Amino acid sequence: MTSPHPADPDSAGPVGPAEATQAAEAVYAPFAHLTARNAALYRQVMRVFLAAKERFAVHLRPEDVHAALPPEHRPAGPDAVAKALDSLVGWGNLRADPDTSRVTAVEDFYRRRFIYQLTQAGEAAEHALSAYDEALGRRGALQAVALHDIVTHLRTLLVLAAEEEPDAAKAHLVLSALAHRFEALAENARAFMGSLQRTIDLHGVEVEVFLAYKDRLIQYLERFIQDLITLGGRIALLIGELEDQGRVGLLLRLTAAREAADAAPDEADTAEIQAYERWAGRWVGLAAWFVSAEGRESQARLLRGRALGAVPQLLSVVRQLNERRAGRSDRSADFRTLARWFAEAPDDAARHRLWRAAFGLYPARHLTVDADTLAERGARAVAPSTPWAEAAPLRISPQLRRTGSYERRGKPRRVQDRSEQRRQLAELAAKQAEEIAAARARLATNGTTRLSALGELDPVAFGLFLRLLGDVLATWRPGTTTTVATSNDGTMEIRLTVLDDDTTAEIRTPGGVFRGPDHTVEITDLTMGIPAGEAR
Amino acid sequence: MTTSLSEVLDSRRAAELHKAARALLKEPLLLARGPRTDGYLLVRRYAAELRDWFDRNAGWSLRVDAESARLRKTPGTLAEPTHPAREASRAGVPFSRRRYVLLCLALAALERGEAQIALGRLAEQVVLDAASPHLTAAGVEFTLERREERLDLAAVVRLLLRYGVLRRVAGDEDAYVSGVGDVLYDVERRVLAGLLAARHGPSLIDADGFDERLEALTAESALDSDELRFRAIRQKLTRRLLDDPVLYYDELTDDELAYLTRQRAFLTARVSELTGLVPEVRAEGIAMVDPQDDLTDVRMPEQGTHGHVTLLLAEHLATADGEVSRGELEHRVRALAAVHGAFWSKSAKQPGAEGELVELALAKLTALGLVERTPGGVAALPALARYAVGETVVVESAHRTSQRKAQQP
Repeated sequence: MTSPHPADPDSAGPVGPAEATQAAEAVYAPFAHLTARNAALYRQVMRVFLAAKERFAVHLRPEDVHAALPPEHRPAGPDAVAKALDSLVGWGNLRADPDTSRVTAVEDFYRRRFIYQLTQAGEAAEHALSAYDEALGRRGALQAVALHDIVTHLRTLLVLAAEEEPDAAKAHLVLSALAHRFEALAENARAFMGSLQRTIDLHGVEVEVFLAYKDRLIQYLERFIQDLITLGGRIALLIGELEDQGRVGLLLRLTAAREAADAAPDEADTAEIQAYERWAGRWVGLAAWFVSAEGRESQARLLRGRALGAVPQLLSVVRQLNERRAGRSDRSADFRTLARWFAEAPDDAARHRLWRAAFGLYPARHLTVDADTLAERGARAVAPSTPWAEAAPLRISPQLRRTGSYERRGKPRRVQDRSEQRRQLAELAAKQAEEIAAARARLATNGTTRLSALGELDPVAFGLFLRLLGDVLATWRPGTTTTVATSNDGTMEIRLTVLDDDTTAEIRTPGGVFRGPDHTVEITDLTMGIPAGEAR
Repeated sequence: MTTSLSEVLDSRRAAELHKAARALLKEPLLLARGPRTDGYLLVRRYAAELRDWFDRNAGWSLRVDAESARLRKTPGTLAEPTHPAREASRAGVPFSRRRYVLLCLALAALERGEAQIALGRLAEQVVLDAASPHLTAAGVEFTLERREERLDLAAVVRLLLRYGVLRRVAGDEDAYVSGVGDVLYDVERRVLAGLLAARHGPSLIDADGFDERLEALTAESALDSDELRFRAIRQKLTRRLLDDPVLYYDELTDDELAYLTRQRAFLTARVSELTGLVPEVRAEGIAMVDPQDDLTDVRMPEQGTHGHVTLLLAEHLATADGEVSRGELEHRVRALAAVHGAFWSKSAKQPGAEGELVELALAKLTALGLVERTPGGVAALPALARYAVGETVVVESAHRTSQRKAQQP
């Protein structure tokens, strides 16, 4: 059913701005009575007409209207009502037709008599206003039952689509029911989340009422979230299946065709296309509500997120309310009163006392006693009736009494001359460096030799050799025949190669003889190119 | 090991409880962040015991939440002027009238505001609030144009920063004082909510005279039965023992004195087991003394010139009889400067410095309950006798042998 469009002001060709606004005013004139001076009276009158229409009494006279007004709004005489009716006619809410019924009095004959009825514009305005009132008052609900119904309908659609020749009537019915349920669900969810937000912001909510029903509200939210999670997933699956092979497209076309069959004559040719577009649009809306696509989350997930977020928000509001109630009535007023008291206090000492009593942020203060005095008192207890003057006083260090500090201030210590010790250490270090350099020179083989050819080593050189051997053997893996390693300090490099003959190498040292399988070895001293002073 | 594991654990637990209680008594508003986090954590751990103890014995409520721990202290006596609000700087100058009024107006503005505030906006609101008829009748006016007034506001804001009511986000107060900048703060509403400790809201009190207002602020609920009266007395005495250095018997009423005489051991034992303070009971009063020299904001004896002067004047006053005039004290300080001046700071040795030195020393001694100010000067209170010079004790030769050992290489 197409909705009637008001006469489009711009459709009559280019018009000037003044005429355009006049035309717009004329279109929305039926709403003008809302902001007029006697708006309450006008509303009552319109309500009378609406009530009368429900009783199928379409035409009303001014006297009838006057009688039907509720007593508190009824003006003194019928003239005020007649004037109101005339204004309403002027705005286009009502229509006045001459009254041709028979009269019995002479003055009635001369009076202009009209009989009034609602115009189409007036009726539309009333519908709009009642929808407005209802939407304002609606708190909405999170309908989990609607979710169950949607699941059922989708399953039915699946069954229908699986048939060879789907029944158009049944498809139409199911799709209509589905669309209706879904609309209700979405609408109600929107209204509920809106009112929930208002509740959380505590607009127009009584604190006591809120605290009383917050538990039920939280339970309600949690139950809905639960249902949304389980059923939402199922619905998304079903939608996926329906869209899978274009099955739902077929059903939609059938439904559109069936609807178009009912169209009025002047819309017949475009009806089917329009109907199909409408139904396709609804289907897309349903899918978008439950199925997330890339870059866009489904409405169901958004709703879930908001409902989940609402619970801790509610709890924090409750907590704030409790805090506010646990305190005093108005802390700001308290502080201002305190400012006044501080200003009016007689002197500074009084102000300090007020600070201490009002804010209580002062530290405790106590005299001290040292451990010696305590020990002495422990040894010889002082009777409680001894006056302070007769008890032993505190022991205070004479140092403190004399100078005011515990440390003795004396001459600073002289810097001692340590150059002799430093010289000895330097000599020691130089000797050690020479020994190591000599050991390196001894070990370095120019070219490859066998281990057995190294001969006899002194202890320092032997230690160095063992370390090198350890480094290179650490890199030995099964199957290698030759390997290279550098020593830890990077000064020597050793290259070891396995020999096939089973000879043993012997190296004599003052501490003993070192034996092992013979290898060829090449040891290079990496510091050879560096001047002696820099090599370590 | 002669002590069993359970004894060790008990003693450690007792030590930690002492530490927690002392942290709270020293700083009744502990923040989770900032320099006293350790104290806050300890208090949090022992929150249940502390709350219970303070509620039963001192009538103070303890509130611990995720950001702060607040012990709402009410003083046991309303006549102590030695605990002023001090600047958050090192000098610690007490607040003047103007600063107190600014503080309350700033708190009122913060209470009405949002989660953040800029100093300029705060100043505007304070100026608006200050235009109330009562304040102008009392002679207090703010325009916050002059530099001194801005300095006062900056001092107030620094105090609030120290208590954690505000947290600086950007800017600097000095820039505001010079008039070239502004500062942005976060407002900690929970801390702000816990700032006032008075039992009754000041805005609900009608009284006119200053003392009546103070009374009404801290009044307890109606004391109908004997039990309630005794409880009130016990709480008052415990508060004084916890907060004040010396409790003199002649400051108490007859009921309180009778109660104290009967229950003295019980009261002091309770305080000792919570804080580790030791009771020093004498004929004139009780002092809970601290073996750790920790639970106090004014120390005596103290190192440094002022501490030295205080100690010497205390000794002098302890031996003097009756009232001593300030002139006499200043004369004494001059004499002392001749003897001990070598150890004092340079500014203290200047000719005109005695007045300030005497004033500071007397402030400390009054704060510690050791002297009282009289119309003619000061008079010593009984507890001052603790600081008299005792008979000399000779240290044995063990000291000298240890000195000899140290000299050997």
